[in-house]
Amino acid sequence: MMVETKKIMWMFKKDLLVLWRHPPRLISILLFPIIMITLFGYGMGGTLENIPVVVVEQSHGQVTDATLSAIKGMSLYDVKDIITDPDKGKEMVQNGQVKAAIILPANYDNMSSTQPKSVVVDVDSSDQMASSAVVPATQALFNQISNNIGLQKLDTMNLTPSGASASNIQVQSNQVAAAPQGINFQNVMDSINLQINKMYGDIKYIDFLVPAVIGMTVLFGCMFGMGDALAGERERGELARLFMTPTSIATVVGGKIISKLSIEIVRALILIGAAIILFGIAIKGSMILTLLVLILGALCFVGFGVMISARVSTQEDYMQMVMPITMPMMFVSGVFYPIETMPWIFQKLAYIFPLTYVNDALRAVMLKGVGVGAIWIDIAVLLGFTALFFALGVRGFNRDI
Amino acid sequence: MKYAIETFDLTKMYNNDFLAVDALNMRVRDKTIFGFLGPNGAGKTTTIKMLTCLILPTSGTAKVSGHDVLKNPNEVRQKIGMVPQLVSLYGDLTVKENVHLCADFYGLPEDLKISRADELMEMVDIKYAENKLVKQLSGGMKQKASVVASLIHQPEILFLDEPTIGLDPTTKRVLWDLVEELNSNGHTIILCSHDMYEVELLCDDVGIVSQGKLAAFDTPQGLKDTMIKEIKEENSRVDPNVSEALEKILEETDPDDKKAVEYITGNMGNNNLNLKELSVMISNKNEEMLNTLNNLSIVHDVVEHASGRITMDIEDSDESVSEVISDIIEHGGNITSIATKDPSLEDVFVRVTSKKKQEAEEGVDDGGN
Repeated sequence: MMVETKKIMWMFKKDLLVLWRHPPRLISILLFPIIMITLFGYGMGGTLENIPVVVVEQSHGQVTDATLSAIKGMSLYDVKDIITDPDKGKEMVQNGQVKAAIILPANYDNMSSTQPKSVVVDVDSSDQMASSAVVPATQALFNQISNNIGLQKLDTMNLTPSGASASNIQVQSNQVAAAPQGINFQNVMDSINLQINKMYGDIKYIDFLVPAVIGMTVLFGCMFGMGDALAGERERGELARLFMTPTSIATVVGGKIISKLSIEIVRALILIGAAIILFGIAIKGSMILTLLVLILGALCFVGFGVMISARVSTQEDYMQMVMPITMPMMFVSGVFYPIETMPWIFQKLAYIFPLTYVNDALRAVMLKGVGVGAIWIDIAVLLGFTALFFALGVRGFNRDI
Repeated sequence: MKYAIETFDLTKMYNNDFLAVDALNMRVRDKTIFGFLGPNGAGKTTTIKMLTCLILPTSGTAKVSGHDVLKNPNEVRQKIGMVPQLVSLYGDLTVKENVHLCADFYGLPEDLKISRADELMEMVDIKYAENKLVKQLSGGMKQKASVVASLIHQPEILFLDEPTIGLDPTTKRVLWDLVEELNSNGHTIILCSHDMYEVELLCDDVGIVSQGKLAAFDTPQGLKDTMIKEIKEENSRVDPNVSEALEKILEETDPDDKKAVEYITGNMGNNNLNLKELSVMISNKNEEMLNTLNNLSIVHDVVEHASGRITMDIEDSDESVSEVISDIIEHGGNITSIATKDPSLEDVFVRVTSKKKQEAEEGVDDGGN
């Protein structure tokens, strides 16, 4: 056991020595996360569609039907369900099933009331991209609906301002200038009071991006690093010398994994530190849980690297095999855009990539501040992927050079 | 007799369709230097990989230092060491770090690791560079460092794969001396090389593999003797009358029709023996002298080189050299230098491997028919 520990430590020491003796490589490791976060933090933008929402209707009538029809008619929303329980709607947002719950009040169809109807939108603000699109669009929609309801009411009272009609959504409340005595036109026109409830507070795009960029950086570090650590050393004949000694494949590969994991954790810490210092990012959840998710993610990607290394004899071959997997993984795993807003084929594809689960878990811990209980599915899937990759990797690994 | 290596129908098939090593049976005597030769793709490297437990045989097995490669691979690994090409040191570690790393992988105690590393580095004269990065070393130094790393666990058998390739002649000689020293210290050396001079110089026994099979196995001198004997036997089989008739046909054949010429000469039993090469410098050579040489029955392929040297193949007999020299002198030639070259291991290698290849191709043709 002592001898095995020494061997593993040698693998670790050797990799650190090599790193130390390659200043460009070392600088790249330290600078790459900062460059990544800076580039993506300042450079990204885009248009969102099909954001999953749930509508809670607590009354039935013409106004509800018209509102539902208007919501469904907007490409921004993808109405996943129409339910009646507001608590369930909120729960669906918390569970990540939808990005927002639009809760219509019980008096929504009551046209005789002059009291404003309180529409509540519970929005998943941890998904900054989705919430930044949902909030203004929902505000605009209910502003229009509010105006329409107001005009209908004025119609009923025979007080419609000239040039406006109930069907004219362009009408503005300040156009109702000549108000007959006893009627508060402002109240009539502001018939809907929209309340936006950002469930996780105000979150900027950079906050949304950081967890995924950390996951992505770990992905690239592990995947490409394993190319040199195993395929490269195999190609150069360095691994052969170790395999010619009475040492198991598991020991050699284990040593490689430990050294790679250690380096990746340091990179992740640098990345988190840079995000905090440069962009004022706050980690709402546990730092330890964040690190554990990262370690699990790194282990999973290293396992993937081992699996590929087992099947190639050169580093070039390794890169050729890894590139077509890592690049799509980066784009469909919700690093830059929420998965739910992507075309359906990408959404399906996203669920076979481990990075999706790393991103989901990291965002949940860092932005929502949740505990293990809320991310257990992500952890279970990542553990499954890790076990599968290692099983296939170590099984397929041989001493041949 | 104790054998360092014994193979028993050792076979390796790749992808179920490429037979790299075909039921190889071979025994290498303990504490000898064994030259393991073969053309590229003959199955030499695959055999070495099986013997060093890097790959598993498809069938058959081998014993290395008395341990079965299938049953006790770790015991085999403990008994062997290997020097490039297949294996290399970490270029970004120093010589000492590489050697210590290997020592730890072989499980050497700390004190033994340090003392043995120092001792070996002293022996191969690389101690002064122990703190240099391996990638900064010259080719010869790298080989020396590799030898140290391979010997750190005191293996009984050392595999040397092309150890002197790319090295200058002086460094080559240093390594050859080292190989002989290691052998005299009791190590069995398995030398894989395409340098026939090196093999002839160092090896006690030589095995030549071709088409995945052991095509020849003997001492270097034994192999040469066998070749000469075989060629003589082949030539004696040709009927002199047939040979004479073919000679006449050859005279009437267009010399530019190379295929026809080759076919006829092949059947004449001449076969351009190439058994001994004679090289002479004649200060006053002329056309007549060269014609005379060409007409001698024991001389073949007279070539005049740009340097003025004349080379020719002569039959390998005790009298042939003096007969040619006397003839030159009789024709007034002033000989300034003479050199002869006997049949070499390279000739044996070419003959054995060509023959095997031809047999394999004929086998394929027959199969096709």
